[in-house]
Amino acid sequence: MKRNLVIALLATLLVASLSAFAMAEQVTLRYFMWDPEFQQMEAELIRGFEAENPNIKVEMTALDPTNFWPRLAAMAAAGELPDVFSMSTGYIDTWARDGLLLNIQHLVDRDLDLDNYFYNVFAEDRFPNKETSDMYAIPYAWVGSVLFYNQDMFDAAGLEYPNDDWTWDDFQKAALALTIQSNPNRAPEQYGFWWYGRYSHVEPWVYANGGRILNENKTRIAIDDKAKEALQFLADLTNVHGVSMAHRDMAGMRQQDLFPLQQAAMWVDGSWMVDHVRTVAGDSFRWGIANVPKGPSLEPGEERSYYWPDSVGIAATTKHEDEAWAFIQYLIGANRPVETYMPGKVPIYRDIAYSEEWLQKDQQPGNMELILALGDTPVRTTFNMGWSEWRGYASTGGAGMNGELDAVTNGQQTVEEAIEKITRDGNAVLERYYPEP
Amino acid sequence: MRYGKLAPWLFITPTVLGLVFFRIGPIIAAFLASFTSWNVFAPPQWIGASNYVELFNSGTFWMILRNTLVFSLIYVLGVMVCGLFLAILVNNRIRAITFFRGLYYLPVITSTVAIGVVWSWILSPRFGVLPNVLADLGVHNLPSFLGDSRYALLTLVVVYIWKMSGYHMILFLAGLQNIPEEYYEAAKIDGATRWQSLRHITLPLLSSTTFFIGIIALIQSLQSFDITMAMTEGGPNYASATLSFFTYINAFVHFRMGYASAMSFVLLVIVGIITFINFYARKYWVETVD
Repeated sequence: MKRNLVIALLATLLVASLSAFAMAEQVTLRYFMWDPEFQQMEAELIRGFEAENPNIKVEMTALDPTNFWPRLAAMAAAGELPDVFSMSTGYIDTWARDGLLLNIQHLVDRDLDLDNYFYNVFAEDRFPNKETSDMYAIPYAWVGSVLFYNQDMFDAAGLEYPNDDWTWDDFQKAALALTIQSNPNRAPEQYGFWWYGRYSHVEPWVYANGGRILNENKTRIAIDDKAKEALQFLADLTNVHGVSMAHRDMAGMRQQDLFPLQQAAMWVDGSWMVDHVRTVAGDSFRWGIANVPKGPSLEPGEERSYYWPDSVGIAATTKHEDEAWAFIQYLIGANRPVETYMPGKVPIYRDIAYSEEWLQKDQQPGNMELILALGDTPVRTTFNMGWSEWRGYASTGGAGMNGELDAVTNGQQTVEEAIEKITRDGNAVLERYYPEP
Repeated sequence: MRYGKLAPWLFITPTVLGLVFFRIGPIIAAFLASFTSWNVFAPPQWIGASNYVELFNSGTFWMILRNTLVFSLIYVLGVMVCGLFLAILVNNRIRAITFFRGLYYLPVITSTVAIGVVWSWILSPRFGVLPNVLADLGVHNLPSFLGDSRYALLTLVVVYIWKMSGYHMILFLAGLQNIPEEYYEAAKIDGATRWQSLRHITLPLLSSTTFFIGIIALIQSLQSFDITMAMTEGGPNYASATLSFFTYINAFVHFRMGYASAMSFVLLVIVGIITFINFYARKYWVETVD
């Protein structure tokens, strides 16, 4: 009897200590992501990760971007950031500067085979120098700028489709031929092109001409001559040639609807718009994508593509660096199902990007590999601290550089006047973020 | 039952605590924040009056301040005139009058975002109902009401007035029904015209309602935000932005809490001055039925 009791006690102790040991090893990661639309698929991905890593549990919260940033900001203020969270290129510099993001360079160097990834895209997650500094987040997807064109309209006008040999002159001639105005008292029923001051409409043209909007360190606005030439070219398309709508005339519409609703024959915007065009246009017309035509002042070696990533970062305050990094590797690696990428958003992992499921050759535009090629060219962007403020973005999309260029399309000011204001007001913003030493 | 000296204090404690923690506390915190540079994520840094200096040196701020005053002036006068007009219209005993009262009140309870979207569709230069109908009637080259910096603010005020007139109609209606019928009968016997009755009976006896509506409408105008956000996002280039909208942008889009706090204190001072003038002037023009 006594012996039985001792055995029972010992067994209980053993079980208790084993479970206590298991409990101690169990880690719960908090993960915040900004795309509730993909919550279900992300949850499946997490289940896969948890199955491979039984000691790690991931609690996911999905919020749309409007709620995501205020919530994350409040958590940052309280020192309660989740272990892993989605990170935008527009905020990474500020967050890295304020010590909120973990420097992950040593982890990247240790664990990643860079040949598997679109490595050039990593540059945007470096701080403070985009070429040489350490990484504070890592991309899981990226988007590039492309020229969307309506093939039916090109056919109707008897024009060749855009190709890599196109000059700006070719582009302008096509835009003129594609603009149809039957009643001179009314606006054209079809525009050849559509642009306004938005970053994804303007920067691709500036870079296609070898121009710069910011100085080398990206700390001040310094619009150079090649950039001016690009801005003047765009302004003339609207004001001189009348092939693009003035910004004021698109009030009450969403800018991204003009092309899919066949109001404009060509349009330059981010490749994630592939999904939007498919959704809005359906099969109502045939369309394709091409590279933004190279500008007249572009010199050899100056080629820069405009692309930028969606990233994930680790909070500097995390107590589970290794587990968070293991989770991130899973999020950006081969395991991620291609369905979690909106069409037009490129997976950072090459094998997924080059898979038939992502290229979707049976669907329009049918040549998505054109986007992938951008990721292998050097990058240039305008993202820095204060970007949304001086550039004009989201709910301030009508302000900053955006607003000044919109006023150009409205015929309210010249390109020179706009550049003067963009430089003056933009640098007033940037001086706050990058004070003179 | 007898109450000790402590009892009244105990009864008001919950309210006082609520007031201290949820009103006075945040007001003091915001006042202190207005002297800091604070982006929410990092601890605030004391920068003295720099935010106020930047504010008063900013061309955008002065433009927005002017927008705010223009907006308030037109809005307050607009809802007063339209509200009173509607109230007089529905202060009748004709059939189905409750239907019309409900109809005019409908925009007040309609979702602001829905209103913003529908008005944008009506006014949109390319696909909008109004420009297209007018173009069919031969009226071309209509300005872009929402996209042109000269008209965007005025267009917004009109939509705000359209939305809120029903609310002020109800307030005026209550005031109108408070005026004894005998006054009008006496005036009629004396040969007063309808205009004279309105001018010498209705308006003076409505003055306390008008005073109240003036204060409410002023506060509403200074809080204008939702339709602006839905229709123009303050654009083009802040041409239709008012102070409350600009405060929101700086606080929750640019995360410049200190600067936004300074702005909200400027707004507080403006509201304070106007309210003070209003209360001071009250004794010269407000009459009561009694």
